[in-house]
Amino acid sequence: MSRLLVQARRHDARFELNVDFSVDNGTLVLFGASGAGKTSTLHAIAGLLALDGGRIQVDDTVYYDASQGVNLPASQRRLGYVFQNYALFPHLTVLQNIAFGLGSQRDRLEHARQWLTRMRMKDFGERYPHELSGGQQQRVALARALAPRPRLLLLDEPFAALDRVLRERLQAELRQLQHDLSLIVIYVTHSLDDAFAVGDHMAVLHEGHVLQQGPLDDVFQHPANETVAEILGIRNLFRASVVGSQLDWLGLPLHTEITDRDKDEVSLYIQPSEVKIMYPDAPVAEGLRDNLFDAEIITRQRHAAGWSMRVRLSNDQNIEIHHATTAYNELDLTPGQSIRVAMKREALQILRRGDSA
Amino acid sequence: MIGPPFWLSVKVTAIAAILIFTIGTALALWLVRRRPRGRMVIETLIMLPLVLPPSVVGYYLLIVLGQQGPIVKWFGIRTLFSPTAAVIAATVVGLPLMVQAARAAIAAVDPALEQAARTLGCKETMVLWRVTLPLAKRGLLAGIVLGATRALGEFGATLMVAGNIPGRTQTLPLAIYDAVQTNQHDLTTQMVLLMTGLGFFSLWAVRRWEPTSRGRDRS
Repeated sequence: MSRLLVQARRHDARFELNVDFSVDNGTLVLFGASGAGKTSTLHAIAGLLALDGGRIQVDDTVYYDASQGVNLPASQRRLGYVFQNYALFPHLTVLQNIAFGLGSQRDRLEHARQWLTRMRMKDFGERYPHELSGGQQQRVALARALAPRPRLLLLDEPFAALDRVLRERLQAELRQLQHDLSLIVIYVTHSLDDAFAVGDHMAVLHEGHVLQQGPLDDVFQHPANETVAEILGIRNLFRASVVGSQLDWLGLPLHTEITDRDKDEVSLYIQPSEVKIMYPDAPVAEGLRDNLFDAEIITRQRHAAGWSMRVRLSNDQNIEIHHATTAYNELDLTPGQSIRVAMKREALQILRRGDSA
Repeated sequence: MIGPPFWLSVKVTAIAAILIFTIGTALALWLVRRRPRGRMVIETLIMLPLVLPPSVVGYYLLIVLGQQGPIVKWFGIRTLFSPTAAVIAATVVGLPLMVQAARAAIAAVDPALEQAARTLGCKETMVLWRVTLPLAKRGLLAGIVLGATRALGEFGATLMVAGNIPGRTQTLPLAIYDAVQTNQHDLTTQMVLLMTGLGFFSLWAVRRWEPTSRGRDRS
């Protein structure tokens, strides 16, 4: 069992970084908008960013300790770093790239070849990075970072530039590698798909601070505050128990496609714009009949893009509804009014955990 | 006689080229990576020999290298009217071209690549040798070829600090001047064609090494 401890402080005119978190074996997702300090945090751990204070430590190895005046140079931290846009050396072949961090070991090329095989890129050793596709470059970057056998792997939005199919495949490969090499992985992303596919834990970053850290599900189910929920982009998130082929949300039956039948409970959400308001006298369209509920309007607010309302359902839970300014003009939607709302089956999104290997 | 001035020029240019390359690369690294205060002023001073009349550069060198100058006073090294002075003059006029090319080439190296090298265990000098300089190679080569060619063609400042002593400080450009003065048409033609050929070849080489649009070097 390894453990990474990060307390990093840095102040300058433009930006303040003050992060504090720890990770055990597994994958921690550093989640946040751009400019939240995700890359700076990775740079601090790797020794590529000068700090004003704090302590960074992997097991017994102290990378940085302001109070003891310890500051290990980046070259001695022995960690793997996969950069945004991969940062492969354009003047070196794929094989030389992977062997780069292996110093003067006699069998360095042999070792690098083993990594090529492992990444299913055996025949690409003599190619140059620009002759590879994005996914292949990503694999080389991973192999190069892992070849020196680091305990800690840092990844900066590694799959952002790849198409969906490729991304999912690489996410699975990364999980496998994490498991096989029992790595501590820190994975920077601003994509929820990414986070759920690779992460075990999550730290939510905002303006250089960690707002919340915990197991991924916990962070999602119980955002510590509105800022976290906003950063996570979730509005109508709730937990429902699985009852046969349908879901029960605190007494309200929900109909949707359930794929994880073996679970007792699932987390799901619905985009506020996907909750439809029914006209009282009009017939209900086919797709809207499954989840039709009475609700009472609590608040209603105008935004740049339209209206946002909070309504209370019969199970005493509140949900948020967004709609365009042009919609529902004939309805009285003032607070206190009773309405009927509908949610399409396919609009109810069940959050899926990536299967940890 | 074309031999003595030619071989002297080769020697002077070779030594000047080594100086231009090392000093120029070091200066460029310092200017790009360290971003020293007063960078603009320093850069401008280095570039000045490009636009000043050779006689002005020669005059400054006379002051620095002369009897009252710091080199003689502090170190007791007398260089005026020696081949060494010719090397110094050639270095000073060739340096700006090297610095200019090296600066652009080094600044074009993606800092993320250097950071990647550090995370892979490279100390700073190794980062330089394994990443920065190889990636800046084309620009550095172009710079040294231009700088050395300029050094080879140096005339005015060399005349002022090294003189025009046949067999000792008379380089090709000075020998051409003498040959014209003494109406040695055949000799002049030979030397002029030689210089033109060298100049053509070096510019052609620079064009070939110019960084490609992809900015990659696969050799």
